[in-house]
Amino acid sequence: MGFINDTHMSQYIPPTLFHCVTGTWTLAAGAVAGTIAKHVAAADESSVITIPILLPSNSSTLKGAYLKSIEIDFEILIAACDALAAVVNKVARGADGAVAVVAAQTFTYDSGHDGASERIDVDQHKMTLTLSTPIWLDNDEYVLVEITADKAATTTMDFLGAVANFDLRL
Amino acid sequence: MGYLHDTHMSQYIPPTAFHCVTGTYTDAAGAVAGTIAKHRAAAASTGVINIPIILPSNSSDLKGAYLKSVEVDYECLLAAATSITASMNKVTRGADGAVAVVAAVAVTQDLTAATDAADEDQHKLTVTLTTPVWIDNDAEYLLVITAVCGGTVTLDLLGAVANFTLRL
Repeated sequence: MGFINDTHMSQYIPPTLFHCVTGTWTLAAGAVAGTIAKHVAAADESSVITIPILLPSNSSTLKGAYLKSIEIDFEILIAACDALAAVVNKVARGADGAVAVVAAQTFTYDSGHDGASERIDVDQHKMTLTLSTPIWLDNDEYVLVEITADKAATTTMDFLGAVANFDLRL
Repeated sequence: MGYLHDTHMSQYIPPTAFHCVTGTYTDAAGAVAGTIAKHRAAAASTGVINIPIILPSNSSDLKGAYLKSVEVDYECLLAAATSITASMNKVTRGADGAVAVVAAVAVTQDLTAATDAADEDQHKLTVTLTTPVWIDNDAEYLLVITAVCGGTVTLDLLGAVANFTLRL
């Protein structure tokens, strides 16, 4: 019963929920007082940061959350990265006794990050990934955004959070 | 104003939100490329994983989220665990100056703790509340996974999904 179709919904995802592998990661104050960050210390390595997209889902067709884009706020400090790229994965959960199935989703970077050199400079970044085909989230699946950051020896990074943009239909 | 009653709602809860005690836990890539896990290293001890049920609540009676079940995705690797048992706690938040009050919530799990839930395999464990609950704004719910482990088994905790009715 009821009907809501709001095309302006967004969900903040804090850095404390980010899944960070390879590197020395700490919770730290952000560069701007009063902000928070997941900070990776300097090291010449490739770190993988996976952002779980925390949205409601729905077992009914064409209901729940219709994921359209994800914005990621981060800072590259001291020195540029060697490379940085994102992948958007939809994970179909496995039944008991079966593995999950991962499907990469097609997306585009915003105009400020569609060149490789634009994603690695020392700066504050708001990188928007727009799905070429938005997706309704079924109850048996979820979305993970995976960022691989190939850092130089002196590069540090602060991940401030992310925002998922979606339609909500209930 | 408005009225909404959707009985098909679900909420993904990532492993990064899990609270893991006893054992060595790390963020790690899942066994399937592109997935993530909270990994428990091998140790002959009993790990306790609290999964906070991140749902909206409501101070009005019979409104907000009506929690019905929680599904937990995990893998037992290298060996079987001794047992994987689910329980649930309702935590009524304390007023300022007062402690919280914990009450056990009756649940059943679809996989037998010492066999089907514990064998070396991928698992989707469904935990069903005997009596579903409307979540009040002064209450929070924790699903507790007690993992009795031998010296070889490792665990990958992949995430959870809470199933609920939303009424607004």
